[in-house]
Amino acid sequence: MHASLRAIAMSLAIIATKGRMDMSYEKKLLQMKQMMKKAPAKVEKPVIEKPSAPSYSKAWEQVGLTRIDNDFGTVFKYEKTYEKAYEHGHYALGAIDDALVQWEAAAFSHPYAATTDETLVFFDTETTGLKGAGTYIFLLGFLTLRPYDVLLTQYVLADPAHEAALLFESKLWQRDTTIVSYNGKSFDWPQLQTRWTLNQHVLPPLKIPRHIDLLHSSRRLWKNDLVRMKLKQVEEEKLGFVRHHDIPGHLAPIIYMDAIKSGEPSALMKVLQHNEWDLLSLVTLYVHSTSMLMEAASASATAYTNVGKWYADLNEHERSYDILSRVTTTYETFETIQTYYYLGLQQKKRGDVEGAIASFVRSGASDDIRIALKSHEEAAKLYEHAKKNTDEALHMTNAALQKLAQDRMLPLRARQAFYERLQKRRTRLLKKNQ
Amino acid sequence: MWSKKKTVDELLHAWQQHGDIRERIEAIRTIEATPARYAPLPDELHPSLRLALAHRGVEQLYTHQREAFDYAMNKQSFTAVTPTASGKSYCYHLPVLQMILTNKKARALYLFPTKALAQDQMTDVNALIEASGEDVLSYTYDGDTSPSVRQKVRKAGHIVMTNPDMLHSGILPHHTKWVALFENLEYIVLDELHTYKGVFGSHVAHVIRRLQRICAFYGSSPTFICTSATIQNPRELAESLTNTKHALITQSGAPTGKKTFVFYNPPIVHPAFNVRRSAVLEVRDLAKQLYDANIQTIVFAKSRVRVEMLVTYLQQFTKHKLHDETIKGYRGGYLPSERRLIEKGLRDGTIQTVVSTNALELGVDIGQLQACIMTGYPGNIASAWQQAGRAGRRQESALIIYVAQNTALDQYIIENPDFFFGGDPEAARIAPDNMLILMDHLKCAAFELPFRKGDMYGEFYIDELLAYLAEERVLFATSDTWHWMSDRFPAHDISLRSAAQENVVIIDQTETTNYRVIGEMDTYSAMTLLHEEAIYMHQGTQYQVEVLDWNEKKAYVREVNVDYFTDANLAVELKVMSEDETETLGAAHIGYGDVSILAQATMFKKIRFNTHDNIGSGQIHLPPMEMHTTATWLSFEPFERWGEERISTALISVAYVLQSLTPLFVHCDRADISVVPQMKAVHNDLPTLFMYDNYPGGIGLSEKMYTSLPQLLTRARDHVAKCRCEAGCPSCIGAQSIDAQSKLDALLLMKKLLGLFGQV
Repeated sequence: MHASLRAIAMSLAIIATKGRMDMSYEKKLLQMKQMMKKAPAKVEKPVIEKPSAPSYSKAWEQVGLTRIDNDFGTVFKYEKTYEKAYEHGHYALGAIDDALVQWEAAAFSHPYAATTDETLVFFDTETTGLKGAGTYIFLLGFLTLRPYDVLLTQYVLADPAHEAALLFESKLWQRDTTIVSYNGKSFDWPQLQTRWTLNQHVLPPLKIPRHIDLLHSSRRLWKNDLVRMKLKQVEEEKLGFVRHHDIPGHLAPIIYMDAIKSGEPSALMKVLQHNEWDLLSLVTLYVHSTSMLMEAASASATAYTNVGKWYADLNEHERSYDILSRVTTTYETFETIQTYYYLGLQQKKRGDVEGAIASFVRSGASDDIRIALKSHEEAAKLYEHAKKNTDEALHMTNAALQKLAQDRMLPLRARQAFYERLQKRRTRLLKKNQ
Repeated sequence: MWSKKKTVDELLHAWQQHGDIRERIEAIRTIEATPARYAPLPDELHPSLRLALAHRGVEQLYTHQREAFDYAMNKQSFTAVTPTASGKSYCYHLPVLQMILTNKKARALYLFPTKALAQDQMTDVNALIEASGEDVLSYTYDGDTSPSVRQKVRKAGHIVMTNPDMLHSGILPHHTKWVALFENLEYIVLDELHTYKGVFGSHVAHVIRRLQRICAFYGSSPTFICTSATIQNPRELAESLTNTKHALITQSGAPTGKKTFVFYNPPIVHPAFNVRRSAVLEVRDLAKQLYDANIQTIVFAKSRVRVEMLVTYLQQFTKHKLHDETIKGYRGGYLPSERRLIEKGLRDGTIQTVVSTNALELGVDIGQLQACIMTGYPGNIASAWQQAGRAGRRQESALIIYVAQNTALDQYIIENPDFFFGGDPEAARIAPDNMLILMDHLKCAAFELPFRKGDMYGEFYIDELLAYLAEERVLFATSDTWHWMSDRFPAHDISLRSAAQENVVIIDQTETTNYRVIGEMDTYSAMTLLHEEAIYMHQGTQYQVEVLDWNEKKAYVREVNVDYFTDANLAVELKVMSEDETETLGAAHIGYGDVSILAQATMFKKIRFNTHDNIGSGQIHLPPMEMHTTATWLSFEPFERWGEERISTALISVAYVLQSLTPLFVHCDRADISVVPQMKAVHNDLPTLFMYDNYPGGIGLSEKMYTSLPQLLTRARDHVAKCRCEAGCPSCIGAQSIDAQSKLDALLLMKKLLGLFGQV
């Protein structure tokens, strides 16, 4: 490299990343103008060559990483086995086997049900950014259930030139697995597909496995219960696991970049630890979610109700009804006002008109204006069509309109929709009453 | 209303009888109608396409459409230079559909400079597809596309219509999601090519190089189909933008209707200073006559402020009618939904008069109107013809009225009406080798795909530049490759449209419970248009800026009703950093090189409507904006016996006329080049005129001025010498002085500079 250019570059190492309105950055760039050369375009042909192993390989091996050389380059691996009796928070890892047996024995179906025939692989990645083709996966972490133990395998990108080696070694083109992740459906997996596409000229095609994303189930189970759905919050509040000396996830990219620039892996090992905890928590989160979906014993009224709602959406109405009834008998009345709305819907489905009306009248008092309004609507429907009681139906409709008039919370569009529906019903009922 | 209705020809006839108006019309030129030239449909044309065309009554093509088809089928990239309303969209729709109908895997990418144009063309091509009875999917892909549709567009869209900004930040950085498109991309259509000039064009040139690089990665090598309005160098521009050889189609086969051009000069209201009545007021009166005659008219004005002033004036005609919607404004900064409504109103005739900035120059479908008024020269011939092209329905005469302003350039055009018809349009310049722009896109390119050592990027050798980025810790160098290694997303830090990275959002806080965003503006313009106490106009409503939060880039405005507008000053300081070229011309030293500029908004004036009196002023407190760019400058030894003040005055005069006339030489946005006088330039202590590119790093405009300086000075001197005023006026040297000497001094100075001192 040109000597003066190097000098400029050195002095700019920090400034330039701040953005180009920076004066001295511009000034230096303009000075570099003389060094720019141009030529007519020519066709480039990609040549595939195996990159040589990075110079820091020894140092990385010394901290416990295993160096693997395959046809595409070098990749570093970290492996560790856990006994099934190992306790991570409230649960032992082996509890997963019981969970799977429970799913196999269940009389109902559920998207999160897995069986002992499947190979469950808990999966989590660490990346250099948030999106786009310039974001690399530098750590692929897997936790695989085996008959007598649990195997942790982490693959570390040796440097970005060795990407194909990392992807190939993951065996994701080969294995038949069920992937379990946290937010993997919208983040880790698409990111992996992007990396795979970029290496499609050398790699065998990526297999599309069954994928269970526990972020989705957490959202359903703890809606209105947990304020944030970060894995860390779920761990602390539901799984009984607290991390000590964990690195914040957003520092991971910087740590990796520093590790390949300096060759010094000690901070990188902290990222591996972070990833390992994530994977262990996925196992106990799966166990915990299963127990909630099975018996929901230890859950709050809100979470328990969420379980019932979820089964309703899955058309497992019998189970939904059982759970929701149990919520209303187990918890204090003030905790279950909303539950009555969902229970009412199930009762209506079963043809229990009286029960449904009683439930809707209870949930009509909810603080949640949508639930309150919908409960009134449902009750009005039942009075009008099933009981042919126009007066009561009108009474319910008017009460709902009154609630709507007093409300200050609903967004404009929702308010309008409710208003139109209720007015239509009211007009019709008044006509019937004449 | 029935009694007043007139045709264009009747109105024109009436004007020629009318004493006042007749006097103000300095020239009339008529272009007679021309017949169509046809070519047969190509033999290989797919039967379904044949059917679709027959459906529309098309049994043969215009010659230029056939030529385009043949080039495209031979996979020869080409540029078609076509006037408005010549059926240019067939130049790309036909070959693209032909290709897709013969190979269902094939894909095409259409790029339009704006979202609105993409929406328009989608409607157009979908109508053609529907008539063909075939199953071809075309979609727009932009910020408005819903997430649920995006997936489908990526996987299945045969034709994807988007804009360069979306390609830059929404498609290329995510190219792995577009494998079906990039593996099978046969055609890239670049419509309205001439709009890709200056800074924006230089950015787009790089976006296209990145696109080509990604196509190469997936194994496709698409052919370019470009269309352009008339410019001096369409082939050069196309080749520079696409880094590909182009064939050129210049002869349009489409018929044209009769067009009458009226060159109208407002009357002189102050004979001593040769000051003419404001063009805006004159346009108001002309537009009223057209409105009363029921002639659908488009009025073009150069700035957003002008548009709003005119809308305010024109809406006075209808203020006694409730909810009248026949007169509308249209400009950038309106919300898209607002714009779509106006476009529709123009097509169905419910809007009779529209006042627009150059936003409506482009091919947005508003149908053909009957008359067009230009408030001043739009700055270049291509724009002028595009604006004129908005008027002209088949079988009907079109009327184009050019109303000159009190500026040197406008008066130059009115003195030389044939300049307009002279067939010597300006060149559109872009500078893909601007270092700042190049480096920006090199980062994006490295983000998209790693570079191998020795790789080229477009026509550039980049090893040293990549090594520099690696030392900056943006890239990571392995033994033979460079990889993006940063958690940033570079495309988000780079805007294609302006030097200013961020826009200022304009928030209306008239109703305390209902703050709403009514528009946005680039930071450079915001310094002079959205400072505190500025009057900002939007759809004819006046707002006063109450707070400008410069750090957050937000301007809070409140509706007001006042009888003035505001006009701000920008002070500029220049330093020469390096002198790349130097030469002596007569008594002058000319230099070209890099300069540093410090621009700061200083104060503003309040100016009363109608009378345009100055009724107050205030200070502006905003941080200065700094920039490094390229400039051409011209210095000279102070003349003996001329005091400092005399030189200074002459310098300001000459700067004024030079700035005014530069658009005769380069095709650029008005704000792209500036001329600034300095009594004692920092680098040589001499009186100096700087002409600099208004963009960090420069975009080749001042370089062009360096070579054109003698011609520019000659034209400037001739123009000032011919001017009818006695002591200088806004049409020649500006109106800074009432001293009779200043015009003579300006002439004298230019003569000296031209080395003509001593001759008369």
